[in-house]
Amino acid sequence: MKKVLEISLGVVTSVGGFLEVGSLTTAVQAGAAFHFQLIWAIVLGTICIVFLVEMAGRFAAVSHHTIADGIRERFGFNAFLWPLLAVLLVNLLVMSAEIGGVAIALELATGIGFHWWALLVALLAWVFLWKGTFGFIEKGVSMLGLVTLCFVVGAVMLKPGWGQVAAGAILTVPDHDATNYWFMAVSILGASISPYLFMFYSSGAIEDRWDESYLGANRAIAAMGMSFGGTISVSVLIVAALVLAPHRIDQVYDYHQLPLILFPIFGFWGFVLFIASLGIACFGAVLEVGLQQAYLVAQGFGWTWGEDQKPRDNPGFSTVYTVALFLSALPIAAGVDPLKLTIFSMALTAASLPLSVIPFLFLMNDKRYVGKHRNGMISNAAVIFVIALGFVLAIVTIPLQIFGGT
Amino acid sequence: MDLVRDVLDKQVIDREQVKIGKVDGLVAELRPGKPPRIVAIELGSIALARRLGARPGRWMAGLSARLGGKRHSEPHRIAWNKVRDIGIDIEVDIDVRETAIFCWQNWLRDHVVSRIPGAG
Repeated sequence: MKKVLEISLGVVTSVGGFLEVGSLTTAVQAGAAFHFQLIWAIVLGTICIVFLVEMAGRFAAVSHHTIADGIRERFGFNAFLWPLLAVLLVNLLVMSAEIGGVAIALELATGIGFHWWALLVALLAWVFLWKGTFGFIEKGVSMLGLVTLCFVVGAVMLKPGWGQVAAGAILTVPDHDATNYWFMAVSILGASISPYLFMFYSSGAIEDRWDESYLGANRAIAAMGMSFGGTISVSVLIVAALVLAPHRIDQVYDYHQLPLILFPIFGFWGFVLFIASLGIACFGAVLEVGLQQAYLVAQGFGWTWGEDQKPRDNPGFSTVYTVALFLSALPIAAGVDPLKLTIFSMALTAASLPLSVIPFLFLMNDKRYVGKHRNGMISNAAVIFVIALGFVLAIVTIPLQIFGGT
Repeated sequence: MDLVRDVLDKQVIDREQVKIGKVDGLVAELRPGKPPRIVAIELGSIALARRLGARPGRWMAGLSARLGGKRHSEPHRIAWNKVRDIGIDIEVDIDVRETAIFCWQNWLRDHVVSRIPGAG
C-alpha cells in the first residue's frame, strides 16, 4: 500500500513537473508551423527521457551514488570537468529561459514588462530554496503544476482527427521550410531530454534514501510519469495546431500570441489557465534547475549537500544556488527575448547531451556500480539513437538558424 | 587494490559522517627496489588544479595563499593510516573541525550566509 502511494505521488510529481517553458513553447511553435507533423519528436524525446530517468533512479538506488558522483569517480576529475561545465552552462541558459517564462506570465497578467519581473522571480525562487525542504519543493510545487493538464482537456475538447495525430507520431520529411523543421525537431528533443531532469532525479533518489527495493517503483514512476508528461506536450502541440491554423498564424515568434491558444476553447478562463500553467510550470522548473546547479557543484567537489539542511549548515551549497539564480535572472532583466532564449537553449541542450549522457551510459553498464542491474541492449540502443540524432541535427541546424538559413 | 581506480575521486567523510570533499590527489612514497606506497590523500582546490597541469597548480596555490594565508598554500593532507573504511565513501578518522579544510565554508557562513535572514 505504501509503495502504491509512493508510486502515485511520484507519477503525480513527474507529471506536474514535466511541462516547462521549453516543452511548452517548442510544442506551440511546432504545432503552428507544421500542424501534427512534429509529434514524432515529442514521442522520441519522451521515450528517451523515460529510459534516462529510469536509469538515473536505478543507478542511485543500486550504487548509492548520484550521477555526478559516479561520473567523477569513474572517469576522474579532468574528464568530469567537461560534462560539469557543459551542464552548468546549459542549466544557466535553461534557468534564464524558465525565469523568462514566469516573467512573461506575470507580464501577461499585469501588463508590466517582463524584464521588470526577472529579479523578483529569482528572489521568490530563492526564498523557496532558502526556507523550503526537498519534499516541499518536489511535491508541493509539482502538485500545482497539474494545472497544465488543462492542455490535455483542451486537446480532447477540440476533437482532433486521432488518425492524423497518430500519423504525426511517425517521422516524416517536411514539404516546406526544411531547416526550420529540423531545427524545431532539435529544440523539441532538447526540451524533452533535459540533463537537469534525470540528474535531479538521481539526487532526489539519494535524498529520499532509495535502495534496491525501490527498483519496481522507480520503473513505474519513470514510465508513467514521463509518458503522461509527454502527453501534455503533445496536447499543447495539438491545441496550437488546431487553434492557430484557422487564424493563419504559422509562426509564433512573439510570446504575446501564446495565451491565445486556450482562448477559443475556454474563453476568458483559457487566458487565465494559460497564464497559470506557464507561470507555475516555469517557476517549478526554476526551483528544480536552481537546486540541480547546487547539487552538481556540491556533488562534484564533495561538499555537504541536501535541500533539507539549513543554509547555515550548508554554506557552499546554498551559495551556489543563490549565485546561480542571480546570474540566470540577469539576461531577462536586461531585456533578452525569453522566447528566442528558450528555443536557443533547448537546441543547445540537445547539442550538449552526449557530454552528460555518454559517461552516464558507461556507468549504467559497469558492474562495479550497478551489479546485475546493468542496462539491457534495448535501453542502451534507444538512448544512443536519440542522443545521436539530437546531436547531429543540432550541429547541422544551429549554425543554419543563427546565420540565416531558410 | 587499484588505488587510482578505487580511491582517487571518491567521496571522503570524516568520523562524524560529514562530507568533507573528494580524494583530489594521492601522495605516494617512492622506495628503491619496492613498489611505491601511498602515504596520504590530498583534498582541496590546489590538489585539483595540479591535476590539470603544473601551471594551474601554481596559480591556485598562489591564489589560496593570498586569500587564506600561509597555511593554505599547500593541499590539505590526510595521512593514509587515518583511512578507516573504503566503501561507497572513504571514511577517515579525523574531525573536519580540527582541520583547515572547511575554512572557506566557515568564512562564507560567518560573513555571508548567517547575515541573511532565515539561514537557520
